[in-house]
Amino acid sequence: MIQPYVEPQARTIDRSRTNAATLEVEGLSVLFQGLAAISDVSLTVNRHEVFGLIGPNGAGKTTLVNCLTGFQRPTSGRILLGGDDTSGWPAARFRERGVARTFQAGRLFKDMSVSENVEVTGTGLGLGLRSAREHARALLDWVGLSDKAQLPAGALAYTDQRRLGIARSLVLSPAFILLDEPAAGMSDAECEDLNELVAAIPQLFTCGVLLIEHNMRVVMGISHRIHVLDGGKTIAEGTPEEIQRHEAVLAAYLGMDA
Amino acid sequence: MPLSRALARHQTPAILIVLLAIIACLSLVGQSDALQVTLTEMFIRVVVVVGLYVFIGNSGIISFGQIGFMCIGAYAAAWATGEPTFKQIMLQGLPVFLQEAQYPFLVAMAGAMVLPAAVALILGFAIMRLAGTAASIATFAFLIIVNSVYSNWDSVTAGVSSIIGIPTVVGPWTAYVFAAVAIVVAYLFQVSRIGLMLRASRDDEVAARASAVHVLRVRLAAFVLSAALCGLGGGLYAQFLGILTVDPFYLSLSFITLAMLVVGGMFSLTGAVVGVVVVTAVVEILRALERGVGLGDTAFSLPSGSQEIGLGVVMALILIFRPSGLARGKEFRLFRAAPAAPAASAAEPALQLSESPTSAR
Repeated sequence: MIQPYVEPQARTIDRSRTNAATLEVEGLSVLFQGLAAISDVSLTVNRHEVFGLIGPNGAGKTTLVNCLTGFQRPTSGRILLGGDDTSGWPAARFRERGVARTFQAGRLFKDMSVSENVEVTGTGLGLGLRSAREHARALLDWVGLSDKAQLPAGALAYTDQRRLGIARSLVLSPAFILLDEPAAGMSDAECEDLNELVAAIPQLFTCGVLLIEHNMRVVMGISHRIHVLDGGKTIAEGTPEEIQRHEAVLAAYLGMDA
Repeated sequence: MPLSRALARHQTPAILIVLLAIIACLSLVGQSDALQVTLTEMFIRVVVVVGLYVFIGNSGIISFGQIGFMCIGAYAAAWATGEPTFKQIMLQGLPVFLQEAQYPFLVAMAGAMVLPAAVALILGFAIMRLAGTAASIATFAFLIIVNSVYSNWDSVTAGVSSIIGIPTVVGPWTAYVFAAVAIVVAYLFQVSRIGLMLRASRDDEVAARASAVHVLRVRLAAFVLSAALCGLGGGLYAQFLGILTVDPFYLSLSFITLAMLVVGGMFSLTGAVVGVVVVTAVVEILRALERGVGLGDTAFSLPSGSQEIGLGVVMALILIFRPSGLARGKEFRLFRAAPAAPAASAAEPALQLSESPTSAR
């Protein structure tokens, strides 16, 4: 069972800057030396929903997430956060304004303790050390890592590293969290646990989730809507039921001719 | 017992300062001039190497330029405290408030910190945008620029001739006090919010940016503080020697201070301090052997130059057998801070920063 999350107080933090209701992508294209990684993709993620983003390898999913978090400049198109144009924002600004992410490769601060990994985000968002530590403790409790808080992050087991990555990005309840293949390489049982955790995020953190995932069971199980990319283009968007029946999606995944 | 708890929590700087105090007491044992000089120079180098550590250790970016800040600090101190008569004749380019007055020691030290820090702030805006090796090369270029500006700006630095008549007020104990101050400052920085964010960016810059860390800003903060400490070291050096030229603030000092940091271990404060002490000891022993020691009837001495070779061998051995330095990124801790009870811990956070392994790449 997922336990409730009680966020410690943070009086000095101005929430009005991080309460965007939508994260919109408008006609986004990214060219790498003339090669289109993403072409003309539009989508909207709402707060309070799990939005699945799927597609075969090389479909442009990670590139899209990089654009949505300031790590990749779009070649054309716009990204709007609560209606504000985000062009030119550095990555740290995206996080400050409530767009958090995890990384496929984990990218933990390996030489720092588990607790410090989470504290960094708190201090980055303007909390004092003491307050950042309280938030870290609460989040580590929530993801079930509080007994490992003082271990170096590099010593964690693989699944625990994923949980830490998620804890780190949930500090101060962002408006949106983008999870880049959180279940990659996990067993079915581990996926179940992670599923529960991710599915609980929108409610507990009043936060929209954009979930990139290869594992169909995970995505279909917890997404409210799913967007399918292939070769950098949108091929479908709809509810899990619609996507499971969609011919172009089946073609992309199973190699059938549509 | 708040005092003992505070000591347990902040034991690393306390231990380092006590360790240096013990070494400083050597100056009471032997009254030889050579010993006083060695100790004073060593403590000044502690200030400088701790200054290097503040930036290099916490950010993970090697800077070759910090000795340039030491140079700037040394000249700032010389301008503030030099003989007015000398300054009016030789340093006519100086502003009047410096030419005509002679300021007290502490004012000079403040100047020796502020001027390099200001330069670092401007320079850092440009350099901190660069990544990794490019930043290191840029700092090296800065060292060369400082050297050529200071050896040619005759009206302000007396060019290649020396500035003389600087009051020599720095001895082993004064230098020790400043070394202790530098250690405390570096420690407080390391465990601060900015220190935490900076070490995160050292581990993984991309993840740090995704954690709302403005990497450029925190790097710049460390760069400026580092420059201030290196400048302080320079100021102390000027007021120790009493005579100042540009020559010492160049490649050989850059490399020996970096060697100290590498030998000690560049990712902990303990490493920075231990590195200075160990390298100084090695150099002094080799120097003594170069001068020759009597063994019974036969005098034995190493050929001159063994000092440099010996230091090179020590560095090579460290890099082979202990690549993360003597301290291996750990801090001195004699006893563990009492773990705070879970209920009370929110109000009373145990010092987790230095308990965690700071790093061991």
